[in-house]
Formats: sequence, C-alpha cells, structure tokens
Amino acid sequence: MTSHSLGSAVLCGAVSTALSVSLISTSALAAPVDLSKWSPEYVRSIAGTQDFDTAADCAKVTPLDYKGRLTFWYQGVFEGDPDMLREYYKDFFATFRKTYPNIKLEDQALTYNDLLDKFRTALLGNAAPMAIRLQILGGTEFAAKGYLRPLKPEDLGYSTSDFWPGAMKAVTWEGVTYGVPTNNETMAFIWNADIFKRAGLDPEKAPATWDDVVKYSKQIHDKLGIAGYGLVARKNAGNTPYRFMPQLWAYGGGVFDEASANPTYKKILLNSPQSKAALQASYDMYVRDKSVPVSALTNQQADNQPLFLAGQVAMMVSHPSDYTVMLDLQKKTTGADTAKAQTVIDNMRYGLIPAGPDGKRAVVFGGSNIHILKPEYVEGGKVDEPAAKALGCMWASPEWSLKLAYAGSNPGNLNGFKTKWMKERLSSIKFLDVTTSMLPYGIPFPALPQSPEIMNIIVPDMLQNALTGAMTIDQAAEDAAKKVKNLTEGGL
Amino acid sequence: MTAMTDTVARRPSSRRRQIDGWRWSGRIFLVFMLLYTALPMVWMLITSIKSGFAAMQFPPQWWPDQPTLASYEKLLDPQNSVGQDFLHFFWNSLFVSTTTTILSVIVAVPAAYAFSRFTFPGRNFLFFAVLLRNMFPAVIFLVPLFILMRAIGLVNTHGSLVLTYLTFGLPLAIWLLKGFYDNIPVQLEQAARIDGATRFQAFVLIVMPLSTPGIIATAIYSFIGAWNEYIYAYTFLSKNEQLTLPVGIQRFFSENTTDFPGLMAASFMMSVPVVVLFLLLQRYFVRALTEGAVKH
Repeated sequence: MTSHSLGSAVLCGAVSTALSVSLISTSALAAPVDLSKWSPEYVRSIAGTQDFDTAADCAKVTPLDYKGRLTFWYQGVFEGDPDMLREYYKDFFATFRKTYPNIKLEDQALTYNDLLDKFRTALLGNAAPMAIRLQILGGTEFAAKGYLRPLKPEDLGYSTSDFWPGAMKAVTWEGVTYGVPTNNETMAFIWNADIFKRAGLDPEKAPATWDDVVKYSKQIHDKLGIAGYGLVARKNAGNTPYRFMPQLWAYGGGVFDEASANPTYKKILLNSPQSKAALQASYDMYVRDKSVPVSALTNQQADNQPLFLAGQVAMMVSHPSDYTVMLDLQKKTTGADTAKAQTVIDNMRYGLIPAGPDGKRAVVFGGSNIHILKPEYVEGGKVDEPAAKALGCMWASPEWSLKLAYAGSNPGNLNGFKTKWMKERLSSIKFLDVTTSMLPYGIPFPALPQSPEIMNIIVPDMLQNALTGAMTIDQAAEDAAKKVKNLTEGGL
Repeated sequence: MTAMTDTVARRPSSRRRQIDGWRWSGRIFLVFMLLYTALPMVWMLITSIKSGFAAMQFPPQWWPDQPTLASYEKLLDPQNSVGQDFLHFFWNSLFVSTTTTILSVIVAVPAAYAFSRFTFPGRNFLFFAVLLRNMFPAVIFLVPLFILMRAIGLVNTHGSLVLTYLTFGLPLAIWLLKGFYDNIPVQLEQAARIDGATRFQAFVLIVMPLSTPGIIATAIYSFIGAWNEYIYAYTFLSKNEQLTLPVGIQRFFSENTTDFPGLMAASFMMSVPVVVLFLLLQRYFVRALTEGAVKH
C-alpha cells in the first residue's frame, strides 16, 4: 500500500466516521442523566444541553412511510387545563400525522376518572384500542390479567436507563416489562401567603411536618373562619391517594412496605401504629378541629382548587400546573377581576411536602405509561404493532415526553430534561424547582394488580369510615387492612 | 239583634279570610317550589356568563362584575375546536334522540292498541313482561348489552344507542298509550266499522286523532330520555366524532380543574331543546300521564 493510498484510506475513514457520527442521534453520544446528582441545580445545569431529532429516532423503530392503522386511547387534556398544554397536545397529534402520513390514527381522549373504568368495560367486550396511555396505577392490573403484550423502552428505540427506576417498576409484572413511561411527576405543597400572614403564621414558610399542617390548619380556621388544609377523601378518584399516601408514608406507615428501599408487598402495614397516626391527623383536622372543608369527603382536587383561588382554603397538595391554570384564568379576566386574580397569584407559594415526625418526607411518584394490547382484546382482533410503536416512540421521546408534560408533570424520558424546552420551562413555570426537587422523594404505588382497588377504594373507604365516625381510627385501619388481605389473597 | 246581624255580617268575611289563608299558603308553597326548581337554572345561566376566575370567587358574584359571552361564543364557533366538537355532539344527540323518538312511536302505537283492544293468549303475561326490564336498574344491563352490541357489530355506532333507548323507553310508552286507548270508547270504532271502514281505517281515522295527546306525550318522553342518557352513550361510544352531548360535556372536567363557565354554558344550551319542547307540549304530556288514572 502506498503512502498515497494509506492517506486516502485514512481520509476516507475519517470522513465516513464523521458522516456516520453525524447520522447517529446525538442521544447515543451524550452522557446519561445522573440521578445520583439530582437537585434543582443539576436539573438547571443539564437543561438545554442536547438536541434530539424525534422523527429520525422514531424512523429507526417504524419507517416514516409505514402504512397502517392505529386506535389509541389516552387521558386527555380538556377545557379546564392550561391553554399551553392543550396546544401541545394538538401539536403532537398534528406532528404525528405529518411524520407518519400513512398511519391512520384514531385517537380518543378520556377524562382522568373515567379512563380505567371505560377501558375495563371495553376489554370485557374485546373492544379495546390497540394502544393506550394509562395512569401509572393502571398498568400492573392489566398486565397481570394478561391484556397487555410485553413492551420495553428498547422496543421503542430507548434504553431502560433513560427512565426513572421507580417508573419502570410500575410497568413491570413478574419480571416482564409491559409499558413505557411517558411522564412522571411528584406534587408539592401549596399555600396562600396572605392567609398565613393574617392567621399569624410565617407567610414564607411551609409547615415542616404533617403535625404542623394539623396545627396550622386549626390556627387558620380558628382565626379566620376558613378552611386550613384542603383535605380530599373522595372514593374512586385518583386525587385521594395522591394526597393521603404522602401523609401515611411520612408517619412511617404504608399499605405494604412500598416505602422501603426493596419492597416485597408481603406485609400489610395499614393497621400499623404509624398508619393509624396518619389517619388520626386527618381525623383531627376533619372531626376534632373542623379545620378542613366540610365537603372533603366528596372533594377531589378540582373542587379544592376553586376554594383555594377564592381564598377559602389556605393549603393544598397539588401540581405545578395550578400556578399555570391561575395565570390562564387571569388572562381571561377583565376589570377589577384582573387585579384580584393577580393578588391570588402573588400570594401563591410552593414548598416541599411536609415530613413526618421523624423527618421522613415522601410523595407519590405519579405519571403515565404507554401500553400495547394483545390482539384478542382489540376491536377487529388485530394490533398494528409498528404503528403502535411509532406512536409510543414519539410520545416517549425526549421532545414530546417533555412537551406533553409541560405544565403539570415532567418528561418520563430523562433525556427530556436536557432539551431546550426544559430550559424554557424552568424560566417560564414558577415553582418548577420545587416539584422537581420532590422527585427523589417519590414512592411508586405498589406494583400489584390490586393497586387501583386498594388506592382508589380501600384507602378512601378507610378515611371515610374514620372521618364520618362510622368506625374508630383503630377499627377503620383494621378493616382496611383486612380488606387488603382478602383482596391480595384473591377474596373480597 | 244587632249582635246577631254583626255575626251574620262578619261570617262571610271571616270565611274569606280563612280561604285566603289557605290560598296564600298554597301560593307561598308554589313560589318556594318555583325557586327550588328555577334557581339552579338561573345560577347555571349566571355562571355561564362569568369568567373562569369570577366563577370561583367567594362570596360569589350574584351578578358578574364583567359579564361575558365568551363561553357561548367558544361553543358556537365552528372554527374553534371546542365549538366544532360541541356542535358535533349536539347534532349527534339530536340525531339519536329524534330517531329513537320516531321508532318509539312507530312501535308503541300499534303495540299499545293491540294490548288495549285485542284478546289473545298470553296477553296479560306479555303486557307485564314488557315492564320486566323496568324493574331492574339500567346499569345491570350495561356489560351484557355492551357484549351483545359488540357481537352484532354495533359498538361505536349510533344504532347501539337507538336500540338500547328503545328497549328502555318502549315499556313506558306502551303503558302510556294503552291508558289512552282504554279511554277511547270502542263504540266509536264499531260505528266506523258499521259505516264501512276497515279496522285499520278505524284505527287511523278515528283512534289515532283522538290519541294524539298520548302520542305526543310518548314522543316527548322518548326524546327526553334519549337526549339526557349518559351511561350507555359513555360505554358504547369511544370515538370523539360520535359522542353525544351528555358524554361530550365531560370535557369541561379535568384531573385537577373544572371550566365552570364553559360547563354551565354547555349545560344551558343542552337544556334548551328539552325545555322548549316541554313548554310547547306540556299540556299533552300531563294529560297523557293522568289519562289512564280514571276509567270513563
């Protein structure tokens, strides 16, 4: 080989390597998100550091000219949701149709409280959609019943390490992964600084513990005659466990050992002294002090929000989206209402969810996942797998998993935190730091098929039994523990 | 004598006072009932012309500081996605309700006539069997009917709703109309037959015109039932373009928030056709409900 030919070969090699590298998605070259460093500063430091080409990435999963048909259900965003989020959803479906012009997509948005029940009914009639995006609580139930086909991030062109380990746990049943997380979030504690001030509390300081919440709630109610804490105890509404479980875990209780590092879900803790202490705190606020809305037994967060915005509730557990919703509402006001709305906005404060008596802080690790159904449960008996994967790939991509969670959640794909939209989001959504800071405290619901029944029915039932006086605290906790035992042993 | 005259003179006025007292009690009771039924509607209307923020204020704004028709404009604007959906849902509800009403009348009229006029084996059994379905809560038929509709390929079609609403609405429709036919003297038909009319002609030319109020009441009943039905429409339909109004207006509820003015504007507009229909035809409806109560 001559020097000339060697030089040419080196040059050709260098050029082809450079070309190949440029063709590979930048995601393959970048360092993964390091969860051990997680902090608001770290999140800020990685935001806007990487670009992604969603269409190119998804083309590797399903060619862009693929011809097919897909039926898809998801928890939609509706009129009450922030305008920006509704625009992003609209953009997503328009972009999908543009990117995959030959896939006929039949998408159906359903409301949060109805999705699980409607899906269950559809499955009974073998009329389910080919793919579905379910809240985090739902995946294991349907995987355990055999409705879902295995689906892991690698099937959509991603790596399992691109997602929160807790989120992956929620889509895994008996060692097999049945879904891909699209978004994950933790909530925060929100309070009204003006009410705190008028009640003689430090307006800039959130209650440090749940015992403080009980104390603050009573003080606010006694001094101002309004509700202190926005307790929710409605049955069959996801809002209740999202607000009560952090309290239960902070006191050291739980349904099982889900708050431990390596949960086994074998031992029932609902009747433990710690769980009873958490229940007692709710009892004290509702029955003893009457410092929470009297409608708490039928309230969900959508009922608390107007009370908070009207200055009738001082504290609540909620998403960062409440702030965005308030901004939207203000935009649509006129006259004197604009100034009133601004006052509410100015008085909104976000803080970490309170800790328990021993400093333990916890929050529900929430979110949603995409699943693909088995053909025998689908209308028409066929599942267009490439079409379903194309949609899953796009939704779980760094770009869209961020955009579709822009106001109320966080990207399920950790690489979403590196996008330019995350940087924009950090500057435009106030208090986002607080909710992202809560993520490491997130505890996933038990990855059991019985979880929806436990969280949406048994736990709220326990609360209602204690708060209505139908049972004592001890009886309500023992009754709930017995129901969980029966349920997990196949009875009830 | 004077005292007696006084007593006699006073008697009518005291009786009048007594009668007036009852009348006033009745009037107060009726005003109370009117407020009880009308105030929620008034509140719905007032909320629908508030902004989202004003709708959440406490104490509430009894009349909005800044009334706005923005929610109505949004719902009626075909260029807007909310308006497109709302008008679509409205049309779907109208189609399903009208079809159900027409079919209900077509089936109930001859069926009720047959139960009223003919004697045939199993007549009583069949008549009460018609009512059997109404003895159970509608929700227990939800999953079986869903599976049945799935088997006959009607899921995600308006046909599934029309068929279901007919199943639920026909028993009462037949009962209403039978009461009407029972009160039409059979001698009128016999006279027509003597004059040369066939049974069908006697039915069409004599009985039908006399039972018009009953037919109208049956139609209103079927229409209102179909227009307001939620749970079957919610279960059988899962395509946005096919949803009916009761299911469609759910879009004003989100996971953590509710668009109250939008919801109230949509609810108000949804109630308009039923209220108008009822106001126009209420005398027939009331007459039909009471017609079978007294035998002539």
